[in-house]
Amino acid sequence: MTFYLIAIATSAGFYLLLALALNLQWGLTGLVNFGVAGLYALGAYASALATERLGLPFLLALPMAALVGALAALMLAALSARLSGDYLAIVTLGFAELIRLIAMNEDWLTRGPRGLAIATRPLPEGLTREAAAIGYLLLVLAVVAIAFWALERIRRAPMGRVLRAIREDALVPATLGRDVQAFRLRAFAIGGALMGVAGSLYAHWVLSITPDHFQTPVTIITWMAVVIGGAGNNRGLVLGAFLVVGIVEGTRFLGGVLPGLDAERLSALRIVLIGVLLILAIRFRPQGLIAEQPLRHTPPGAQP
Amino acid sequence: MIQLIFDTLATAALVAPAAVGFTLIFALLGFANFAVGAVMAAGAFAAWTANALLGWPISAATAAAMLATAALVLVCDRAVFRPLREAPGWALLVSSVALSFVIENLLRLIFRADVRGYDVPLSRPLIWLDARIAPDAAWSILAAVVTLAVVLAGLRLLPWGRALRAAADDASLAALRGIPIGRLRVFANLLAGALAGLSGTLAGFSLAIEPGLGWSLTVSVIAAAILGGIGSAPGAVLGAVLIAFVEEVAVKFTTPAYRPGIGFIALALVLLLRPQGLLGKPLAAGRDQ
Repeated sequence: MTFYLIAIATSAGFYLLLALALNLQWGLTGLVNFGVAGLYALGAYASALATERLGLPFLLALPMAALVGALAALMLAALSARLSGDYLAIVTLGFAELIRLIAMNEDWLTRGPRGLAIATRPLPEGLTREAAAIGYLLLVLAVVAIAFWALERIRRAPMGRVLRAIREDALVPATLGRDVQAFRLRAFAIGGALMGVAGSLYAHWVLSITPDHFQTPVTIITWMAVVIGGAGNNRGLVLGAFLVVGIVEGTRFLGGVLPGLDAERLSALRIVLIGVLLILAIRFRPQGLIAEQPLRHTPPGAQP
Repeated sequence: MIQLIFDTLATAALVAPAAVGFTLIFALLGFANFAVGAVMAAGAFAAWTANALLGWPISAATAAAMLATAALVLVCDRAVFRPLREAPGWALLVSSVALSFVIENLLRLIFRADVRGYDVPLSRPLIWLDARIAPDAAWSILAAVVTLAVVLAGLRLLPWGRALRAAADDASLAALRGIPIGRLRVFANLLAGALAGLSGTLAGFSLAIEPGLGWSLTVSVIAAAILGGIGSAPGAVLGAVLIAFVEEVAVKFTTPAYRPGIGFIALALVLLLRPQGLLGKPLAAGRDQ
């Protein structure tokens, strides 16, 4: 049971990283990203291939995953930079499908559905099973804390104010001489890098990745964490991510209540419930549990 | 050459109806409905139920599937999208992706993920000018061409069609001129639903009937609508033919498994080179998030 709770907390940490990244892209800047699962997969495979095929240490593979995620996100945003949000939505969705197809079919590279085994572990050898589990949770939480701190800095910095202005009405910051496209690309790339980092941490935790790990439910759960937590608000996301992962895990126990369902039907029912919950959340509480706080007009020390 | 043209038309037949429905909903309601693929899958299962379980001939099963998905899309609009008409654009987009997963997994819950096919007599492909023409592919092309001809002509000539195009251009102006926008919304949803159902039914001939059937076609359908110029029904048909052609040519150089990926790459090229699509207006007035 303890292991189970630690595992849930760790996977909530991955989703929290994804949600923080999506919050920068969408919550703050207003850029719709339906390719969360694709960037997550890209980070995971990049990191796994770096350690297993190239023999790099984890400490080099992690930044490589971030770089790959950033470049892919940059490319996606550049493709649809001058178009309305619906185009970015379909481009990112198609991208995630393409990544999944490549992971599924390029057997020589990814070993396809049989799964890519990962032997490299970020933690030192020789830990007990319990210490390794807790150690990994602490590692993930440390990365979450760094990401949270950095994103809060961005949110409060002049850049964050420009991003919010872009979200509300891109014409205003453009009129004030801000390069709206450059800010959009930057926000999308930083988010992509963070999704790559999440993928890398995930890969070296599950130790065997298949394309099935990176299907659209990952994207849905991430969106749910941001919508329920409160778009634009990083603190709400912590609540949102843990709540959503709690709900997703909690629905596993439906099997005990509904014994007539086999595993396949049970997992379908769980996704139905999660989807319905997201639709209800958007309809009845689009601002999330903790709504975004308006910034003070004059940050301390900003003006002499 | 004849073979390539025929294969292109067979693929276009299952993309084009859904693309026309998608583009109509986008034009009238102003959002990209990502649930179009899931509705296609629902159509394939409805046709399978009528054909394989109830023993109806495939033409009656196709009609039944179109009715079923028209009703499904109308119910989804009432339950999910209409209450959000004052909401920002992202709410509709994200709801449509969530809805797509709800529909797909309801199908999985009811029918399980087993792979199915229609109960149609096996028949030898016709050979015509060196091209192998499978009878069910010929039936797909015929059904799609007849339906699309009726729909495109109706949009151009009938009062409902003109009202739909007027409202798609400018809903408030159309309302001022006495066009009942509410009833038009019902009509557009029924039409888009029936078209997606037709696409799904036809897809069930060449692809395995399983809940994920439509998801793999979603990108191709939306790419066709964008390529043709979003909001233009004839454009969506043209876009579907072009996407199908690119897919058929590209599959010869790679494995068929990459077919959905080819649709995406074609879409990416369109967005780079001609984002307003072939028959579309400039995107300056495009709705932003």
